[in-house]
Amino acid sequence: MQNTSPTNPAPIIVAQFVHKWYGQFNVLRGVSLSVYPGEVVVIMGPSGSGKSTLIRTFNALEDYQQGTITIDGITISDDIKHIDRIRQEVGMVFQQFNLFPHLTVLENVTLAPMWVRKRSKAQAEAEAMQLLERVGILTQARKYPGQLSGGQQQRVAIARALAMQPKIMLFDEPTSALDPEMVREVLEVMKSLAGSGMTMVVVTHEVGFAREVADRIVLMDSGLLVEEANPIDFFQHPKEERTRQFLAQIL
Amino acid sequence: MKNPPASAPPPAIDRSPVRWLRQNLFNTWYNGILTLILGGFILQVFVAGLTWIATKARWAVISENLPLLLVGRYPAEQSWRLWLVLLLAIGLPVSIWGGKRRRSPGVGWIYAFCAMIGISWLLGGGFGLVPVENSLWNGLLLTLLAASLSTVLAFPLGVLLALGRQSSLPILRIACTIYIELVRGLPLIGILFMAQFLLPLLLPGDWRLDRLARAIAGLILFNAAYLAETVRGGLQSLPRGQIEAAKVLGLSAPLRLWLIVLPQAIRMVIPAIVGQFISLFKDTSLLALFALAELTGIARSVLAQPDFIGRYAEVYLFIGLIYWIVCFTLSQVSRQLEVRD
Repeated sequence: MQNTSPTNPAPIIVAQFVHKWYGQFNVLRGVSLSVYPGEVVVIMGPSGSGKSTLIRTFNALEDYQQGTITIDGITISDDIKHIDRIRQEVGMVFQQFNLFPHLTVLENVTLAPMWVRKRSKAQAEAEAMQLLERVGILTQARKYPGQLSGGQQQRVAIARALAMQPKIMLFDEPTSALDPEMVREVLEVMKSLAGSGMTMVVVTHEVGFAREVADRIVLMDSGLLVEEANPIDFFQHPKEERTRQFLAQIL
Repeated sequence: MKNPPASAPPPAIDRSPVRWLRQNLFNTWYNGILTLILGGFILQVFVAGLTWIATKARWAVISENLPLLLVGRYPAEQSWRLWLVLLLAIGLPVSIWGGKRRRSPGVGWIYAFCAMIGISWLLGGGFGLVPVENSLWNGLLLTLLAASLSTVLAFPLGVLLALGRQSSLPILRIACTIYIELVRGLPLIGILFMAQFLLPLLLPGDWRLDRLARAIAGLILFNAAYLAETVRGGLQSLPRGQIEAAKVLGLSAPLRLWLIVLPQAIRMVIPAIVGQFISLFKDTSLLALFALAELTGIARSVLAQPDFIGRYAEVYLFIGLIYWIVCFTLSQVSRQLEVRD
């Protein structure tokens, strides 16, 4: 988990001076961030600080007007072919799960491998069952998402993203829509994923997760990166006044 | 203060019919009088109707013309073909539904495809069967044919129009919007007249559509516009997160539409769509105005037979019953579809 910049010099995500506007509102005001393979970066910050918007630019769900973002050597532009290729390498988990309600759990997981990666049905299902076992949903494979609890749905969403064998996983507040007693089961799955060496960028308010799993924590505020540090420095010796204020509010 | 008992049985309610009558129909003297007057009137209508059906009506007009009303002048020695068609047609929804149930929708669709080819072969003839000209298909047969053909063709056109209206290409969006709003602002009868008289002028000279084809084209053009608005409702009610989830999995735009958007959007509006097909089925009766002998048209020609002059009540009651049976069946089927499998 600690194979950051010195041992692995080529970052897999490079964002440089990224600006984005919603109409007149400047959501991202020149954000630069690099993420290295195998690294877990946690982005924290008050709501409206632009953290969700930032990770949504990493798979072109949001466009940006200035700067460059390069994912695994491919620069995100308007070219649809590039965008589809990038999205195949970058998995994403949403706050609201966004499972497909008209498909079973198993079909949710096999859909993209079969249609995008052209896997056979048998192979896709075998891989999906392995993933569902890994996130602890194996017995629910034939159910529809509406029959599962929030925590189970979110674990299916993680399996669905992993089925595309992405190089990077983005998590957009994955536990914020969950009842408190279900947060842990999702964080456990994410922790074991981090342990397996997956590159992860996680927007979350879960201090425990950040402290334990993150290689690096980034604080964003009003569209800017305020502070970037390892968890120990971030929580114990924050350099910036804004970070201290934020920590005082959440701890 | 006394503690209430932990749980008590519900108070007993007298549900006898006498009590219900007293409470609801005879609770005051003026309600009592109103009940008696209305009850007497309903009874009178009911008794008169039954008496007429049982004693005064001459049902010979129906029994002697039954084949004509149902299948028109389709040659009697070929009628086995129609029974086969009916059998194949009943198999259609069964196979598609059954295929979905058994998680092998492919089988259902293959059957549907073969059945459609089989139906058109059996009806039209050729390839070893005696050809039957379509001017001989009348009565209920023609009604069902016109309605199902219009339904099958209007549906994809309506979906395309709905998607076009949502398109990000301005030309496409504006063209679809104009078409939809134009058609929705015209009465169906007007569209049918235009299809009869305007369509031949607009199409290239060697495209000769017969009267029936032009009428069906009118029904399709009309219903596609309404369907488009219904489907658009379904498209707009789909949460944005569904499309985002499909995007981040790397699904291309056509796959997102086919696998995620349309199945959900259409399922949401199935009741409205079936409702529209039911009214389409009833609207085919307007084809009688263009000398097409579908169920209403053939009823009019039956009424012109010298033996049965003036037997309006029997004939219209009978075809009314047929329209009702078909529509009621359709709405029951749609209820089954609404129950999520």
